[in-house]
Amino acid sequence: MKVKRSASKTLTYTVLIIMVLVCVAPLLIILMNSFKGKLFISDDLFAFLTPQSFVGGANYVSGVTKMNFVGAFGTSLFVTVASVILIVFLCSMTAWYLVRVKNKFTSVLFYLFVFAMIVPFQMVMFTMSWVSNRLSLGNPVGILVLYLGFGAGLSVFIFTGFLKSIPIDIEEAAIIDGCTPMQVFFKVVFPIMRPTIITVAILDVMWIWNDYLLPLIVLDTGYTTLPIAIQKIFTGGYGAVDMGGLMAMLVLSIIPIIIFYLAAQKHIIEGVVAGAVKG
Amino acid sequence: MASISLQHIVKVYSGGVTAVNDFNLEIKSEEFIVLVGPSGCGKSTVLRMIAGLEEITGGELYIGERLVNEVSPKDRDIAMVFQTYALYPHMTVYKNMAFSLELKKMPKDEIDLRVREAARVLDIEHLLTRKPKALSGGQRQRVALGRAMVRNPAVFLLDEPLSNLDAKLRASMRTELIKLHGRLGTTFVYVTHDQTEAMTMGDRIVVMKDGLVQQVDTPQNLYDMPCNVFVAGFIGSPQMNILKGVLHRNTDDAAGADGKSYVEIGEDKLYLPPEKCSNALLAFAQRDVFVGIRSEDLHDDEAFLAENPNAVITAKVDVAELMGSEVYLYLQYRETSLTARVAPNTTSRIGDTVKIGIDVSKIHLFDALSERNILI
Repeated sequence: MKVKRSASKTLTYTVLIIMVLVCVAPLLIILMNSFKGKLFISDDLFAFLTPQSFVGGANYVSGVTKMNFVGAFGTSLFVTVASVILIVFLCSMTAWYLVRVKNKFTSVLFYLFVFAMIVPFQMVMFTMSWVSNRLSLGNPVGILVLYLGFGAGLSVFIFTGFLKSIPIDIEEAAIIDGCTPMQVFFKVVFPIMRPTIITVAILDVMWIWNDYLLPLIVLDTGYTTLPIAIQKIFTGGYGAVDMGGLMAMLVLSIIPIIIFYLAAQKHIIEGVVAGAVKG
Repeated sequence: MASISLQHIVKVYSGGVTAVNDFNLEIKSEEFIVLVGPSGCGKSTVLRMIAGLEEITGGELYIGERLVNEVSPKDRDIAMVFQTYALYPHMTVYKNMAFSLELKKMPKDEIDLRVREAARVLDIEHLLTRKPKALSGGQRQRVALGRAMVRNPAVFLLDEPLSNLDAKLRASMRTELIKLHGRLGTTFVYVTHDQTEAMTMGDRIVVMKDGLVQQVDTPQNLYDMPCNVFVAGFIGSPQMNILKGVLHRNTDDAAGADGKSYVEIGEDKLYLPPEKCSNALLAFAQRDVFVGIRSEDLHDDEAFLAENPNAVITAKVDVAELMGSEVYLYLQYRETSLTARVAPNTTSRIGDTVKIGIDVSKIHLFDALSERNILI
């Protein structure tokens, strides 16, 4: 019996380790190659780092100097943070309205949000770029509106799911205690939604920070986010790519997201289980 | 402290569902009034209309001298305790209690004074730094009461505040609430579906059914003089036994005379005592009636049977439940189930066919058509 149990445990762990390796391998390969010389990278991308192939921080230095890293980083940071703040505030308010006000209009609105969630980006890409041109949204402030639009579907969907689990008694108690509707939302509902807000924020930060296609289509020349800058700078003529610099900048670009994820991961788990059990 | 006046209050929900219909009630200042009734009878709707959480479709609601139909909940000088306690989960107990005072921009030291005083009265001083999730049901309930208390409201509204507690805690909290009402001297409006809570706590009880007030009276009067079959069945535990019969009231009987009036139940006859034979009964002569008998007015002891040979029926014992100080006999009499509350030394056993004496001086008679009590 004991042998059987330990064998099944070994099998479980083996499968889990393989799955972890599959997930982590691309990151490790990028990290490893960011310290390799250009020739060694093009020779064998998967070869381990050796004293011969190791070039120290040379790729990082050349990468940062070659591209306007700080500028692109700043644009990405602004677009990501501002979009996520907009999405979180406006979508949580919308979701609250949809959950608490029950009529045909809110039902239709909710289904529109759900529909928006399932529409693929590529389907609306052309019309959206046309609209953004007409409305002059091709700048870091204008693009926030587009991110809000694209992020609203999933965010409203997640927020409404959570808000349904909050007893209305709590809001009524707040009204009796003297809250105005805005105070009910900001002093009571919004803090209770914290785990879900963090979940939505994590999902949106990862999406917007890493997004390549939308800013590429929409942003006017002169504005670049990190993914676009990296792609543009390190792709030379005839398909030649500065792989070392590319890898180094990729590593730098994923560091903020990893730090953010690690800081907020406790809450994403809380967010996932929130509302599952009557507390 | 304030009186509340509900005049012809109507609540109709969108879709045309009438939750409350022509509700009239005068609640005196400092009174403990209990709204009781089965689920869906409209009692919570009435409470929520007093709180301002539901719009009033028709009628007028006064708190004190002020018409409050259009007044927002925060300006009604009321506090409410919810069934689910409705504590703010992200705030500590202290913050929960201080929240309404902070919104009023009360000075911090005054808030502190009030919160600590309420916490002392409710014995929750040691819990002030905890969050609601770290509290037991009883503690949460106290915090909810504390949150209401700190506001010094004119009216306390309580919506089934004990129904989430276990039986033992519920009983002790009942006593606590009665004491609290005495100490605060505030008007309490309490909603429950539990008639025991209603009977033990209320100065007066409002019995409701289908959005209509059935009877408003003191617990004792409701028990002794229920105005209809519904109130008779709802108030009292075990429920009042209801038997169908035909009233025979001879027109030549003088009121309060000789006992020739009786109710015929099958072949059995229950002779009415003179004090029950009012002239008002004449109108119901030869008509179907319901006879209401409280479980404690059914007796199986020899002494009672010997003294009351004119009011004896024969029934079969289905179940006998020993409750400690008494025994509940669940009897089968004709097509009807009866419950008798008898002394623990009863000789009746399950399966026995026993003679049961009825204390006819305590029976209630209801018109079978209108179901109204015809003895009051």
